Amino acid sequence: MKKIIIGVSAAALWFVCVVLFVVSAMGGTTSEHQFTVLTVKEDAVKDYNTMPVFQQLAEDTGIEVKWIYNTSTQYANNTDPVGIKGIDAIYHSGFSNLKLYDYGRRGRIVAIDQYLDSMPNFARILKSRPDIAEALKSPDGHIYSLPRVEEMGLKAYPNILYINKKWIQKLIDDGNLPEGVNLTSNQLVDGLDLYRYEFKALLQEFNNRDMDGDGSTTNEVPLAFVSGNWQGNESDLIASFGVPENREHKTVVDGRITFTIENENWFKAVKELADWYQGGLIRSSSFTQSDNDFLARGQDGRYGAFYWWEKDTVLSAEHRDDYIIVLPLKDDDGNRYVGVSNEQEVEKGECVILDSCEDKEGLLSYFDKFFEPEYSAQLNYGSIKSGAFLPDKVDGKLIPNDDHGVQSADDFRMKNAPYGVVYLTQEVWDNSVEMESRAKLRLNNLENYVKPYSFVGVTAIPNLNYTQDELITLNTYESSLANNIASWFTGSITGGSIPTRESWLNFLQTNRNSIDTVIRINQTAYDRYLAAIGG
Amino acid sequence: MASEALATAPVDEIDEELVEEAYEVLDGPAGPQPKSKWEEWKTNFRRHGWILLFILPAFIYVIIFCYVPMYGILVAFQDYMPGDKILGSNTAWVGFENFKTFFSNPNFWDYFLNTFLLCIFGFIVGFPLPIIVALLLNSLRSKKVKKGLQILYYAPHFISLVVLVGMLKLIFGSDGLLDQLSIKLGGDVNGLKLFLSPEAFRPLFIFSGNWQDFGWSAIVYLAALSGVDPALHEAAKVDGASRFRRIFSVDLPAILPTIVMLMILSVGNLMSCGYEKVLLMQTSGNLETSEILSTYVYTFGLVGGQYGVGTAAGLFNSVINVALLVIANFTSKKLTNNSMW
Repeated sequence: MKKIIIGVSAAALWFVCVVLFVVSAMGGTTSEHQFTVLTVKEDAVKDYNTMPVFQQLAEDTGIEVKWIYNTSTQYANNTDPVGIKGIDAIYHSGFSNLKLYDYGRRGRIVAIDQYLDSMPNFARILKSRPDIAEALKSPDGHIYSLPRVEEMGLKAYPNILYINKKWIQKLIDDGNLPEGVNLTSNQLVDGLDLYRYEFKALLQEFNNRDMDGDGSTTNEVPLAFVSGNWQGNESDLIASFGVPENREHKTVVDGRITFTIENENWFKAVKELADWYQGGLIRSSSFTQSDNDFLARGQDGRYGAFYWWEKDTVLSAEHRDDYIIVLPLKDDDGNRYVGVSNEQEVEKGECVILDSCEDKEGLLSYFDKFFEPEYSAQLNYGSIKSGAFLPDKVDGKLIPNDDHGVQSADDFRMKNAPYGVVYLTQEVWDNSVEMESRAKLRLNNLENYVKPYSFVGVTAIPNLNYTQDELITLNTYESSLANNIASWFTGSITGGSIPTRESWLNFLQTNRNSIDTVIRINQTAYDRYLAAIGG
Repeated sequence: MASEALATAPVDEIDEELVEEAYEVLDGPAGPQPKSKWEEWKTNFRRHGWILLFILPAFIYVIIFCYVPMYGILVAFQDYMPGDKILGSNTAWVGFENFKTFFSNPNFWDYFLNTFLLCIFGFIVGFPLPIIVALLLNSLRSKKVKKGLQILYYAPHFISLVVLVGMLKLIFGSDGLLDQLSIKLGGDVNGLKLFLSPEAFRPLFIFSGNWQDFGWSAIVYLAALSGVDPALHEAAKVDGASRFRRIFSVDLPAILPTIVMLMILSVGNLMSCGYEKVLLMQTSGNLETSEILSTYVYTFGLVGGQYGVGTAAGLFNSVINVALLVIANFTSKKLTNNSMW
C-alpha cells in the first residue's frame, strides 16, 4: 500500500512539473503585444509600460511595445543578451564599438541604415549631420545602433573648482590668511581669482587648522576629487600647469592626436601633486574612492575645495551656500588653462534591433519617433503628463517645470525619465524645448568661469571609426597602456617621494611602443574622420 | 581450511588463489571452471557488478561537468561570440591568432610574473600553515579546547569574498581603522595607504586569504592524524619521547602521504588564484602588482567581449598548471615514493 502511495505521489509530482514546464514554455510564445523590448532599468525607475510618454507613443504610432527589464547587474552578467528569446530589441544596450560590429557582421542585429525609408527623422539627421553619421558607422560602413545625441556643450568641461568660502572667511576673521594671499570678504563670490600658489597656501591652512570647529584638525579634507572619474577629476588641476589634460590623457592638438603624458608640463604637474599629497593637501581617498563615496563624504561640508560639475550634488542643503566657484588656477605667469574632455555627446549603442524581430520596419518606425523634439524631451526629462514640463507651450517651446514638490529634481528625473534614444541639439533648444534651469545654470557657469580658458588649438577626440584590425590592436594596447599610466601616475603621487625625471622618462620608454601604436591608429582614424565630414 | 588461512593471513599478503578457494567454499561447489580471462571477468561482474553503481553518480558528474564543457576550449582557436555555434558551418577558425594577440600584449610578462609571484608566495605561506595548526591542535590535551579552537579557526572560511574585502577596506583602506589610528598617533596625514601601494597588495591578499582558510584546510590533516595508531604514541612515550619529538617522529610521518598528495594537487593549481578577490582589491595604485592573468582574462575577455583571446589566455594558464602537476608528481614519486599515478 505504502509503495503505491509513494509511486502515485511521485507520478503526480512529475505530472505537475511537466504541465508547469509546458505552460511556461507556451507563455513565452503567446503575446498580445506587437513587440517586446528588453531594457536595462533599476527598480527605482517607474514601469515603462505605464509611463505617459510611451502611452502617447503607442497612440501616435498604433504600435504596442511591451517593455521587459533587466537590472544593470543582471544585464552585465549576461554574456549574450542578443540571444535572449522572445525579444525584438534591446534599449540601453550599451554595446561597445567592437560588440556592435561583432554582432552586426554576424547578422544578429539589424543594419539600421537599410531601413531609412521607414525612418524619416533618423534619415534627416544622418543627412544634415555627417559627423553623426560618421560616428555611428561600424568598420563595414553600416549603422548597427540608434544613438543618443544630447548636445549641450557641457560634457567637454566636466570639472569646476569649488572652494569653501566660509573657511576662507574664518581665516580672514582670525587673521590667519597665509602670507602672500590677500583676500577680502568682498572677493568671496563665484569666480574667485587665485594663483596656484595662493590656492596651495589656502589648502595648507585648511589642512593645519581646525576649520570646521569640531576640535579636531584631522578630519578636514583640503582638496577632494575622484581620480579618473568622468567628472570631478584632477585633470584641470594638471591642466593649470599648461598641458591640455583630460582623464584619458589623450587629446587633439592642432589636428594631431597627442598624449599629454609626454608633455614636460605633465611631469611637472605630477611632481607638484606628489608634493601636495605629501603635505596632506590631497588625500589617498581621492585615488581610491568611488564617485558615490566622494559624494557621501562631501555632504557635511568638510571639503576645503573640490572638483565637480555642480556643487548641489556634493553638498547637503545647509552647506551649499558655503562654497564658491574658483576660476581655473593661474600659473606663476598669470596664465589659465583648461583641458577638454573626450566625453562624447553622441553615444553609440543606445538601442539595437535584433535580427529575430519579424517586423523591423514597424519597430524602427516606432523608434524613429524618439528623435522628434517633443518625444526626445519627454524621454530625457519625464513626460508632460507626469509634470516634467508645464502643460502649455510658450512661443511653441516646451517649458520645463522646476517645481517637483518635496522631491529633488534629480530624484524626479531618475524616476520619470527613461533616457536612451534622444536627439536634443542646439536647433532643438532654439526652437522646440527650453533647457532646464539647472542645465542653463551649469552652462552659464562653464561659459563664465571655465570655457574662456580652454587651450587654443586643442579639441576633443571625436567618435572615431576604426577598421577591424585597428579595433583589435587598439583593444590590446589601449587597455594595458591605460593600466600602466594609471599605475605610474597614482604610484608617483602617492608613493611617498617626489618622482624623478629618470623615472618619468623610464616610464615613457617602457611604454613607447604602446604610446606610438595608439597614436598612430587614432591619427589614421582621425584623418579619415576629417576627410569623411569634409573638414 | 582456505577460509581459515584467509582469516589468519596478514592483510597485505592475501594470495589470489586463496581468495578463489574461499569463494568456492562460501558459494558451495561451483559449476564448470571459468577458462578465459573474459569469462572470469564476466563472473566477477555478475557477482559484484552492483558495487559499480556507487561510483556511477561521480562518474556521470565528471563526464557532464568536467569533460563535456572541455570542447569549449575550441573557442581559443575561433573568432567567437556567445551565440555562435562552436562546431558549425559558419564557425570562423582563426588558428593561433588569439594566442598571438594575447602574447603580443605589452604587459604580458608583467601579468605572468604577477600571477606567479602572488600564487607562489600564497603557496609558501599557505601550504605549511594548516599542517602546523593541525599538528598543534592534535597534541592538545583538552578535547574541549581543541574543538573550540578548531571551530574558531575555520569559522572565517564561511565569510563571503565581498564581505571579506569589505572588512579589509574598513580596517586597512583609506580612512580605515588602521589609518585613523596611525593619524591619531601622529603618523602621516594620508595614513598607511595600504590599498594604494603595490608592495602591500600581495601581503594583504595572501594573509587575508590564509587567515580565512587555514582552519578549513587543517581539517583534512586532522582527519589523517586521527588515524594514527595510539599504540605508536604510547610506545614512543615509554621510550621517553617528548611531545615535540612525538610530533616529528610519529604524527608527521603518519600524515606524510596526505601532505604529499595535497601538495601535488596545490602545485597543480599554482597558477590559478581566483580573479574575484584580486578584482575586488584592485585600485589604480596597486595595479602594478595586482593585475594578474585571470583578471586580464576577465576584463579583456569577458567584459571587453574578446572571448577567443580570453579563452586562449585561460588555456595557456591550464597548460602551465598541468605541466606543474606532472612535474610535481614525478618529483614526489622519485623523492618520497608517494604519487598520484
